[in-house]
Amino acid sequence: MRRYLGRKLLIYLLTFFLAVTIDWMIPRFMPGDPIMNVMSRIGAVVNPSAAQAMYEYYRHVFGLDLPIWQQYFNFWNSLLHGDLGISIYVFPTPVKTVLMRAVPYDIFLLIPSILLSWWAGNHFGAFAARSKWLDNTVSPIGYILTATPYMWLGILLAWLFGIVLGLFPIAGAYSFELRPALSLTFISSVLKHWFLPFASLFLVGFGGWAIGMRNMIIYELEADYSHYLEALGAPRKLIRQYAFQNSILPQITGLALQLGVIVAGALVTEVVFSYPGIGYLLLAAIQNQDYFLIQGCFLFIIIGVLIANFGIDIIYLIVDPRTRRGMAGETA
Amino acid sequence: MRKRLLSVLSLGVVLSLLIACGPTPQPQTVVQTVEVEKVVTKEVEKTVVETVQVEKKVVETVQVEKPVEVVVTATPAAPTEAVYKREETLYVSGAAWGPASTWNPFQPGSLANTTGTIGNVYEFLFAFDPMTGEFIPWLAESGNWTDATTYEVTLRQGLTWSDGQPLTAADVRFTFELGQKYAALWFSPVWRYLTGVEAMDDTHLKFTFNDPLYQEWANYLYNLPIVPKHIWETRTEEEITTGTNENPIGSGAYLYETRSEDRNVWIRNENWWGIKVFGKPAPKRIVDIRFSSNNVALGAVIKGEVDLSNNFLPGVATLVQKGYVKTYFADAPYMLSANTAVLFLNTTKKPMDDAKFRRALAFAIDVPSIVNVAYANLVKAASPTGLLPSLSRFDDPDVVARLGYTFDTAKAKKMLADAGYKDVNGDGFVEAPDGSKIELEVTCPFGWTDWMAAIDIIAQSAQAAGINIKAATPDYGAWNTALQGGTFDMTLNNWAGMSNTPWTLYNLLFRHPIQEQMQSGNFGRYDNKEMFDLVDALAKVPVTDEVGMKAACSKIQELMLTDMPMIPLWYNGLWAQWNDSIWTNWPSEAPDAPKILPSTWSGYWQMGGLMTLINLKPAQP
Amino acid sequence: MKPKKKNEFLYFALRNRKLRIGLAIILFFLLLALFGPLLIHNAPFDYVNPMGAEPPSSQYWFGTTFFGQDVFAQFVLGLRATFLVGAIGGGLGTLIGILIGFTAGYRGGIVDELLNMLTNIVLVIPTLAVLLIIAAYLQVRSILTECLFIGLTAWPWAARAIRAQTFSLRAREFVDLARMSGMKPTRIIFTEIAPNMMSYLVMTFILQFGGAILNAATLDFIGLGPTNAISLGLMMQYAVLWGALLLGMWWWFIPPGLAITAIVGALYVMNVGLDEVFNPKLREM
Repeated sequence: MRRYLGRKLLIYLLTFFLAVTIDWMIPRFMPGDPIMNVMSRIGAVVNPSAAQAMYEYYRHVFGLDLPIWQQYFNFWNSLLHGDLGISIYVFPTPVKTVLMRAVPYDIFLLIPSILLSWWAGNHFGAFAARSKWLDNTVSPIGYILTATPYMWLGILLAWLFGIVLGLFPIAGAYSFELRPALSLTFISSVLKHWFLPFASLFLVGFGGWAIGMRNMIIYELEADYSHYLEALGAPRKLIRQYAFQNSILPQITGLALQLGVIVAGALVTEVVFSYPGIGYLLLAAIQNQDYFLIQGCFLFIIIGVLIANFGIDIIYLIVDPRTRRGMAGETA
Repeated sequence: MRKRLLSVLSLGVVLSLLIACGPTPQPQTVVQTVEVEKVVTKEVEKTVVETVQVEKKVVETVQVEKPVEVVVTATPAAPTEAVYKREETLYVSGAAWGPASTWNPFQPGSLANTTGTIGNVYEFLFAFDPMTGEFIPWLAESGNWTDATTYEVTLRQGLTWSDGQPLTAADVRFTFELGQKYAALWFSPVWRYLTGVEAMDDTHLKFTFNDPLYQEWANYLYNLPIVPKHIWETRTEEEITTGTNENPIGSGAYLYETRSEDRNVWIRNENWWGIKVFGKPAPKRIVDIRFSSNNVALGAVIKGEVDLSNNFLPGVATLVQKGYVKTYFADAPYMLSANTAVLFLNTTKKPMDDAKFRRALAFAIDVPSIVNVAYANLVKAASPTGLLPSLSRFDDPDVVARLGYTFDTAKAKKMLADAGYKDVNGDGFVEAPDGSKIELEVTCPFGWTDWMAAIDIIAQSAQAAGINIKAATPDYGAWNTALQGGTFDMTLNNWAGMSNTPWTLYNLLFRHPIQEQMQSGNFGRYDNKEMFDLVDALAKVPVTDEVGMKAACSKIQELMLTDMPMIPLWYNGLWAQWNDSIWTNWPSEAPDAPKILPSTWSGYWQMGGLMTLINLKPAQP
Repeated sequence: MKPKKKNEFLYFALRNRKLRIGLAIILFFLLLALFGPLLIHNAPFDYVNPMGAEPPSSQYWFGTTFFGQDVFAQFVLGLRATFLVGAIGGGLGTLIGILIGFTAGYRGGIVDELLNMLTNIVLVIPTLAVLLIIAAYLQVRSILTECLFIGLTAWPWAARAIRAQTFSLRAREFVDLARMSGMKPTRIIFTEIAPNMMSYLVMTFILQFGGAILNAATLDFIGLGPTNAISLGLMMQYAVLWGALLLGMWWWFIPPGLAITAIVGALYVMNVGLDEVFNPKLREM
């Protein structure tokens, strides 16, 4: 068990290091001059001598006047102190503030959709594997759902439920007539705005897990131990239960692997629904050449994915006794 | 009245007693101040005269008891409204393009994120109505040139800041002198010809000049926000030039209330000095929404969630026909013209350094298709001089007749051939007279869908005439860098908006001197001393001398159309569509409607946006 | 031995319903992509309809866009681009995955550890974030550059799967036999291991193909797709930007998304069908 966790930790630390380094390189190697961009964003400076002074000022503020290696160390230093710099797009708000405003929305959107779609999809897939008839009628839904591009589904849902039926709003995190407050109106508004983005992420994920689970269960049902139990006269339900338990393991690892894809899906969904999460912020930052905000978003996404991965590894450890005992089971 | 005064004072005493017992919450936003005043003024609303005097007294009380503002939040008598009533709120969109981050009126670029700071909170000496060409007295009651180098301004009586202090000539003088102290502020160049500002008393100012640029000065009159001296004089240079100025104190009709990533909320200033002059604006709150892109705005407009949308909405013609929205004109072009979209040619690159090539290109571009297809008739083709319809009196019809251009592929081909551009290698595109290949790119920022369609048409029509131009859409940042660094081939730009003078446009087109970074005009780096002198001469013509201005413009236009360093193509619309289910009396061409600009864009509040706001009436009284 | 095996596969392949359906759908779209452009008279970006947007008619089979462009023309050319990205992007990803997966699985030891670490690192980093940033560096993007990105970031999936398979096959007797008889490693790989993994490789390629198409569609939709071509994702993006559904122009928006869903869905179905064909245990269901 220690070996397993140790290996995982090592990989995550290496990944973090690599990701942070790539992250740091972003403003330095992107075409264009970030300082000029800042200056033109915050207002045209007509006076040439004043322009030079401002240029130097901003170079200093963003720390770009130091030698490269020092900049790299300073970056790590400020990172560990929680300072991610100042945003250009939302000058002069610090990057961390901008990101922290967006993180709750992402967590609110991603965690329920990931967990619910995983849980519901797995059970549904197991359900579909019970009989041929069920399989043939229910599986196609799974295939269609998982093959649907996130944004297309999002737009269709927005159009159908938001515009044609008018049941849900199609943009923003909460209604424009409200201020955040712990009131029923506010909470219900937040939920209403949350529902459609959640639904698009949920449906696509659901399809994928359902299909995966169905395939796994069928595979398990054809394994030797299943036939053996059947020969012993065990009830179908028991066999299915064992098959399910065995199939869950690869699905857990699958969840960890899918995190990157799900983050991508969340990004486009946020764009479609103007939901102010990190993915949406990242896109805006790229479009506005706000290097420091890009850095911050990327970093947050990486950290989030790494933490989630680690969490899933721990869960796997709890669920699969083989890894606990250091047996061959799922290797890294 | 004495009884009322007594009750007011006793209320103050009671409240101050409450402070002593109550908790000390965090400092709240300015809104709370308003709440306090509101509670009191209710009692005295009846008599106008008394209101004025009592208001002043109440304000003083609040000033002394600073903690009072804070405690009010604790008392249930004045709760913060968590839900805005629909019939009291005006929802606008289309002006902000990023989350609000600063309320500093001296940061013009960032104000794209908090539009309304100038206009709602900060005000200016005059407002300008491009429809009539008149200056509307705002903070100033009057202003005129007493001689060639002196301009005198008389302020109105009774102007106040939102914290209760009076707005006097000292504030105006202070604001102007900030430009003298700090070269980084955008209006500091005025001190090139402004030599001094004198406050003769509380309401009279004298500006003295040395060789004044009359045309530019007129711009400052309605574009410079006046800030309170008693708050800004203690600020450092850094705070003034790059600070956020949270909780702004201004003189305007609205106060900043709150914001989130996608909206700014302004709440009406019940003590605005302008209530006596212009009337009280009907909406209690303005919620300025920032949509992530125009199609999302379209969805909100269709659902009726937005009152006024200043976005470019695809398919507006369809929306108008189906009755979702109304626009200024009931028929094409639906919109007023806001600014000229000009195709800048980078004159430092071959073959755009050849005036003959540039002129041929002007005839090759299919502007009618841009108007009809890309914009579905929401815009109009521009005059070759580039001046907006509101300034069309400065077009020289003779120059336009001789040197103007229209879409004529055959003529473009002939002009190219005459200038020595022939297709030597048979690929369908012409080469330069020296034989070198011509491969050019016309660009616009990605996501500006209407411009993307326009540059597609430009590229296609140029190719039909034999010029190898392809359309490219880099992201905004890359586009902006190329624009200001002069590395593009040809690109669109429309930064010269409505103005009181043709000089604004020509100053943008022929900005000089040429620097490494051209940040506010002449992106194609057209270097012609003769033209620069002509534009400078225009700047020095007094605003009242229309004949002189016309003569100066005529010379500029003659040189411009002969050399064609940039090609004015069409007038971008002042995108504005609204629904009148909650608010009515919007401006339009209808006979009894106000004839003003319905725009909340940055820089347009003082050109009609505020007046539109003030004119609004509730649909259901 | 070999011919009978092939016949056996073919027999079951043609009988498998999932495979038949999936293949049929893919072939339909492939034919449309290959021969469709011969049917169109208009270039995809030409403004052919002065009336602007119009629903499908006999003249314009899929109607016209907001600007009067032929949607069908855009659709068939977009199909081509989509298949290209799937094939090249997916192919590249599979190739790199095979290289790394084979090497890691066959060599074992320190090589395996290192490659495994590399795979895991690339796997954890959310590829879309990286793609966004890279794509933003380039001001002009072509379909081929998009294929390149996608291939370079999608390989970890294939590498993992192939490595696992290689591991299990390497330990088998016939491989040991081949090694003992002195065969060179490359020959062993190509003549002994590969044929047994063929099924796996095919299925991996199919999954990569589908994944590449979805990835490309996402990139295009956000605005980081090719700047000089048309693809299904780009069609969707334009349709959304110009409010197609909001203004009732469903013919502009629905076909591209439907096509992608159909193609990728068919690929997944084919994948499951192939699994059943190659794995006799699954055939009963």
